[in-house]
Amino acid sequence: MRVSLFITCLIDQLWPSIGTSAVEVLRRAGCEVVFDERQTCCGQPAFNTGYRREARGFAQRFIEIFEEAKPDVIVSPSGSCTAMVHHFHQLFPDDETWRRRAEALAAQTYELSALLVNVLGVEDVGASFSGRVAWHDACHGLRDLGVHSEPRRLIRKVRGVEFVELHNADSCCGFGGTFSVKYPEISVAILDDKIDAIQKAGVRAIVSGDASCLMQIEGRLTRTHSAVRVMHLAELLASHEPIPQTYQGA
Amino acid sequence: MDHLTPETFKQNARDALNDPQLRSALRNLTKTFGDRRQAVLASVDNWEDLRERARSIKDETLAHLDKYLEAFADNAERAGARIHWAHDAAEACRIVIRLLQECSATNIVKSKSMATEEIHLNAALEEIGLAPVETDLGEWIIQLAHETPSHIVVPAIHKSKKQIAELFGEKLGIEPSDDVAVLTGAARRVLRQRFAESHAGISGVNFGVAETGTILILENEGNIRLTTSLPRVHIALMGIEKIVPRFADLDVFLKLLPRSGTGQQLTAYQSLITGVKRSPGDEGPDEVHIILMDNGRSRMLAHPVTRQSLACIRCGACLNACPVYQQIGGHAYGSVYPGPIGAVITPQLMGLSRAEQLPYASSLCGACREVCPVKIDIPELLLHLRAEVVEGTASATAAPDGPMKRKPSERLAFRFYAFVWSNPRRYERGLKIARLLQRFGVRKGRIDNARGFISRLVPPLGAWTAGRDARPLAPRSFREQWRDNPGGRP
Amino acid sequence: MLAAREILADQRQNMESRQAMLSAIRRQLAASAPLDVVRSQHQAHFTGTSHTDRVAAIEQPPTISLVEHFRVSLEAVSGHCVAVRDEVEAATAVLQIIGQRERIAVSNSPLVQRVMRSVEHHAELIEAATPLALFDCDAGITGAQWAIAETGTLALESEEERHRLISLVPPMHIAIIEAGRIRQTMGEVLRLISENGGDALSRTVTFITGPSRTSDIELTLAIGVHGPAELHVIVIVGENS
Repeated sequence: MRVSLFITCLIDQLWPSIGTSAVEVLRRAGCEVVFDERQTCCGQPAFNTGYRREARGFAQRFIEIFEEAKPDVIVSPSGSCTAMVHHFHQLFPDDETWRRRAEALAAQTYELSALLVNVLGVEDVGASFSGRVAWHDACHGLRDLGVHSEPRRLIRKVRGVEFVELHNADSCCGFGGTFSVKYPEISVAILDDKIDAIQKAGVRAIVSGDASCLMQIEGRLTRTHSAVRVMHLAELLASHEPIPQTYQGA
Repeated sequence: MDHLTPETFKQNARDALNDPQLRSALRNLTKTFGDRRQAVLASVDNWEDLRERARSIKDETLAHLDKYLEAFADNAERAGARIHWAHDAAEACRIVIRLLQECSATNIVKSKSMATEEIHLNAALEEIGLAPVETDLGEWIIQLAHETPSHIVVPAIHKSKKQIAELFGEKLGIEPSDDVAVLTGAARRVLRQRFAESHAGISGVNFGVAETGTILILENEGNIRLTTSLPRVHIALMGIEKIVPRFADLDVFLKLLPRSGTGQQLTAYQSLITGVKRSPGDEGPDEVHIILMDNGRSRMLAHPVTRQSLACIRCGACLNACPVYQQIGGHAYGSVYPGPIGAVITPQLMGLSRAEQLPYASSLCGACREVCPVKIDIPELLLHLRAEVVEGTASATAAPDGPMKRKPSERLAFRFYAFVWSNPRRYERGLKIARLLQRFGVRKGRIDNARGFISRLVPPLGAWTAGRDARPLAPRSFREQWRDNPGGRP
Repeated sequence: MLAAREILADQRQNMESRQAMLSAIRRQLAASAPLDVVRSQHQAHFTGTSHTDRVAAIEQPPTISLVEHFRVSLEAVSGHCVAVRDEVEAATAVLQIIGQRERIAVSNSPLVQRVMRSVEHHAELIEAATPLALFDCDAGITGAQWAIAETGTLALESEEERHRLISLVPPMHIAIIEAGRIRQTMGEVLRLISENGGDALSRTVTFITGPSRTSDIELTLAIGVHGPAELHVIVIVGENS
């Protein structure tokens, strides 16, 4: 299967290891991965803050670029960016042609774990990682895309992993895009409930499918000198060995 | 509580976060209601179907609201009720005042009604010496405390037992007690006297049935039954969106509302009142008045996204599920309707320019949409309102009130982002420059090299680092690594 | 009291407001029409997935009788229920429930009348009590027109019996019903009470599910606020059950 990778600007610039891990995992699952370098951003920050004209520009560029290669599917290691693609049609209330193109593209665009489990039928990607981990359901992936069982199935197949369910796994981490800087105290208050649960669960790592959630969680874990590390699902699935000690927390 | 307005949301929220008693009360609310709701959902096997049916009933009603409203009015009048039409809050208050004066009522009892809070009815009546007594326990507590409700269903949830005991001691001369039964007993004794002597009762309405002209009101305490049966005159205030087409439609809503609102299969009492009693000797009021109120609701009909706001059945489930509400409570929203539904209807009822902070006070997590019994897509509504804030025009949906605050630096930032990101080479070049400047953009050059994180950023991103570390830009982006190894071959 | 002139002015104002409000609604709906088309087009093509409440339904016991189901449901909400064979046994049950209480209001239900006549008691029975008199009563005894098994609910139709205040004001409410009046669901009872059209519907229908309650203080349950603190239902099942 030929998959076109939608890397997301956040992962591209702030967390490239998620991208390289995702490529690795997709190859192991038997895909040919292509990456169109013309891509930049899906425009989610603009759409979420109310800047629809700017968001429309991003959407049109995105649609044009990704239509061209005619891949079998488009895959992204981000629930929120995948969800944004699924919302593109809302940006064209007056233009039926663009709306149809947006809908067609959305139908082909998958979040990583959904692609692996639901389309490729793959749950075991040959990963190994020793330690207790918990999963955080990123809101867009969970509620916009219905991703819930897929990451859990993938994680349970990782050799050496002890999976525990957080009592508030499906609660928001408090990121919410510009919300995290417009209302930082509320954002951190919400985050602390998540951090509290993570600490109580006694995990080595907290795993999620969205880099934005991971940034939010990681930012507080490091600020509070926690030894818990954050990992993207792709990084976990790409790993072959126990957790490297790159993290010098207290 | 005059200082609490939507405009001061940010400060209100900050105050709330620093109030440990409030936060403890909210934690209790969230956990208790969350558990109860989960437990009670198990008593239906078709929850999703019910939500779907409820939503389609509401959609059908709203699409023909004029027709159903007329049918309701005509049928209620045929059964002897008097129907009054109130275009706005002022008109609604005027009608209530006139009706109370017509019947020379001085002792007025009132049951909980968010619509009456919305129009500040009590304040209007107090001004002319006709203050009603609130009879719902939670509403009575906040009336005594001169506060506003902080939750649609449990208005006094922000108050602890101790605070309530002290309040009762101060206002009623009662020995403070830790026992909820004692406090409740005190309320019963005092209010029973008022019921016995009441001339007029004011209530809200949960649903109005077009087919029969029936109004349905739900409760647990019994004060609504007393308010609507004992006094000679009953005045009911109803938002125009409360209509459902058929009597049989009530079944769906009776399954959804108590479960969503309080985790009960059914509340203790439902009163279905059609018109007025048939003969003077029968029990019940001599006069039943129903005030149909618009007050900004019809404007919401003008767009399919905003129209769903009118499907709300005021259950409060979205408040209980909302991570923001859970942290800051209801008062921070500065209006009668707090939480997720408040964040979308307050700007529409009061004017977007007065409440433009509210649509942004959400992480868009979607928990509200998930629990809403009528499937209102609140995140979609929030995004719609945010777009209206940015566009800065008074659209059909925003109240014609005034211009939005101009945010030139934010606008410029997004134009800049759109410009740089719209071309891959510009994007890469821009981020390479940012990588270089990273050290200097960080206040006092703080990259904690031992851990690799940034602990202080310049504004506006400084808001991030107040509570969290930040990841620095990676030394090599994904696309640079891809170029070295296209296809990701090992 | 308002002069006739003022009353007419009010009526005119009301008609104007009615017209204005209905026009506003029509105007706003018309403005929305083109956008509605776009939205329904999208919904026809594309249904989103969503994380839904994953709850398993409780298995209903297959052979539970309506009476037993009603009893279980009512007791789950702090009501009391006893099944008896006939009116004499019902009367005995009533006496047991009212204990030493002295002033008992009774409704004009023929069933209640018969039950209370069938046994000796010391209490003072008050018929056709005025609202004020009810405030001094210790209990009220009524019938009910229907009952709902799945929720433990009583349905009181105001035009079948005079029980609106007797079932509400005294601190204890006793309801005597025949087993044949119990139905499984609310939906059924809503249908039954409205089946002869809106004009035949009783002007007040009251559904009662257990005693009065509140959780307004710290979400702690308190039973008995404004309505009765105790609800007792006596179900007459008849000889053949």
